[in-house]
Amino acid sequence: MAHIPTADGTAMTGATSLVKSLEAANVDVMFGLPGGAILPAYDPIFDSSIRHILVRHEQGAGHAATGYAQVTGRAGVCIATSGPGATNLVTPLMDAAMDSVPLIAITGQVPSAAIGTDAFQEADIRGITMPFTKHNYLVTNPDEIPGVIAEAFHIATTGRPGPVLVDVAKDALQKMTTFNWPTSIKLAGYNPQTTPDAQAITDAAALIAQSSKPVFYVGGGVIKANAHKELRQLVELLGAPVVTTLMARGAFPDSHPLHMGMPGMHGTVAAVTALQKADLLITLGARFDDRVTGKLSTFAPNAKILHADIDPAEIGKNRHADVAVVGDVSETISALIPALKAALAKSQPDLSTWMRQMNSLKATYPLGYDQPEDGSLSPQHVIQRIGQISGTDTIFTSGVGQHQMWASQFISYEHPRTWLNSGGAGTMGYGVPAAMGAKVGAPDATVWAIDGDGCFQMTNQELVTCALNNIPIKVAIINNESLGMVRQWQTLFYEGRYSNTNLESKRVPNFPMLAESMGCVGLSCERPEDLDKTIEKAMSINDQPVVVDFRVHRDAMVWPMVAAGTSNDEIMIARATAPDWDSQEL
Amino acid sequence: MAIHKLEVLVENEPGVLARVAGLFARRTYNIDSLVVGPTENSKISKMNIEVSVEGHSLEQVIAQLDKLVSVISIKDVTGKVKEIHDTQPDYQN
Repeated sequence: MAHIPTADGTAMTGATSLVKSLEAANVDVMFGLPGGAILPAYDPIFDSSIRHILVRHEQGAGHAATGYAQVTGRAGVCIATSGPGATNLVTPLMDAAMDSVPLIAITGQVPSAAIGTDAFQEADIRGITMPFTKHNYLVTNPDEIPGVIAEAFHIATTGRPGPVLVDVAKDALQKMTTFNWPTSIKLAGYNPQTTPDAQAITDAAALIAQSSKPVFYVGGGVIKANAHKELRQLVELLGAPVVTTLMARGAFPDSHPLHMGMPGMHGTVAAVTALQKADLLITLGARFDDRVTGKLSTFAPNAKILHADIDPAEIGKNRHADVAVVGDVSETISALIPALKAALAKSQPDLSTWMRQMNSLKATYPLGYDQPEDGSLSPQHVIQRIGQISGTDTIFTSGVGQHQMWASQFISYEHPRTWLNSGGAGTMGYGVPAAMGAKVGAPDATVWAIDGDGCFQMTNQELVTCALNNIPIKVAIINNESLGMVRQWQTLFYEGRYSNTNLESKRVPNFPMLAESMGCVGLSCERPEDLDKTIEKAMSINDQPVVVDFRVHRDAMVWPMVAAGTSNDEIMIARATAPDWDSQEL
Repeated sequence: MAIHKLEVLVENEPGVLARVAGLFARRTYNIDSLVVGPTENSKISKMNIEVSVEGHSLEQVIAQLDKLVSVISIKDVTGKVKEIHDTQPDYQN
């Protein structure tokens, strides 16, 4: 904390102390919605230097704070009242926990004397959020407010980042106290190891130097640790293939020749096969998620595992690590570079055969899609053109489903913090509010939410917030009038029985009209020949949010695919079509 | 079934038992017994937990427990319990 104000001995309410604490924590913006129990805090917020953005639903506040945090690398702050206000933050908190986002949630609680009496708008939000907050607090003594807020920011932003909830009883906000910001924070039970063990680094370098088929398995931790530059140095030092997970898109440039793409359920053939055939996974800030490993017992069967992560509990959780390096992945990579140089000076592995195999796979099985035969819009083409026209400095968010996978596959990510999505939680409706937060955090950047028609109908109310607060995001609704990914599974695994996945969103609602009613510009595009000029029109509007209803073909599917619970070896490049392994030298 | 005995020092604060018990429940670790008591320091409580770790590694249980901010330290005292009992008065007779 760079700026620490002096303690203020003057008497003030707990509410004022709370707002002063947030100011002391260098908060510049928060997203929230007032109500009875948090109301005392909203009075000093009225006078505060902190920009408060009034949302239309607390879930929007939570995801907006997450989007802000993902783009800036700083903690995002959301604030809500007790009971339903607080429970509406449950989904964003779970989302932030799964994707390791530093999120601070402030909630009002009923007066301390009423806690436990089923009072009006009482919910045990501390109990509810225990499983998916990094830590949480219930404050009933106003004197504790500055210390708790300082601890909350410390915990949320250090080690493996994560959400922290601070529930404050209404009487603690109303009572008088003095403001005393702590000069240091000591927590007996919290002391994350950031500097890696020197022996582990030596062992890791030796393991890499011995390998003949190494792969860099890069996860979201590399982006969180701002380690992308160091990563590139390390990769180019070894000259081995790289895969970036859904949470790591942008950690390594897509245009780099060593990049094999995204691994996992909808990963590229080259990325999935690289992991399967490797003799060493150099795992950096990744966690062997089931969407990456497929059937765990058949994942990367011949690979030794080097696992570097800041969270010791990730080591060995899903896959045994032959060498574990606990620490900040930026420090780890920085230490690994000279250690690897020294190890390579003794024995330089010959990776030429391995790279030839990987480059052959990459060339043979690029990502692709068919244009619909009826001349309608292809969803993949829409997303690809948005990426190409808006450029690599654009920030993209998405909802969850087919459009999310296509946005990950068909947009080229060259920079970290330009791709925001709900990876671990799979939260439909993340896209619009996250884009709002991203635009607040990076006001000069173009921010596109690539959304689905299902996702959009979950959280589009925040477009009102965007319109009224000069947050001109752009939203592409990839309207296939379906819960598309669920429909894809019904096509593949339920004999085309489309139980409850038809949203009829080409009939109702009228998305452009809905957008216009919320103070946005509403556009529509149905024909491929109108695609580029529609995107360019959207790009030309910078004083209002823009929503484009891209009415696309509904039968497009996401490929490649490793079906849930099956081995990565069973990757399909199209329906019932496996890669031609016999033609590959592996 | 391997039963491990853990001696866990935690912050003596409301909800700490729920934090530990909830962690064991959601990660499907089996608690065989759990006893909470005071220590010389009124700010710190001690939990003696017997956990059967079938299907999980003890390292993973300890690592997850250690992630709780309210958990200060964890000691694996498996096999040392008899020795400790032997030094204490035998109230059963």
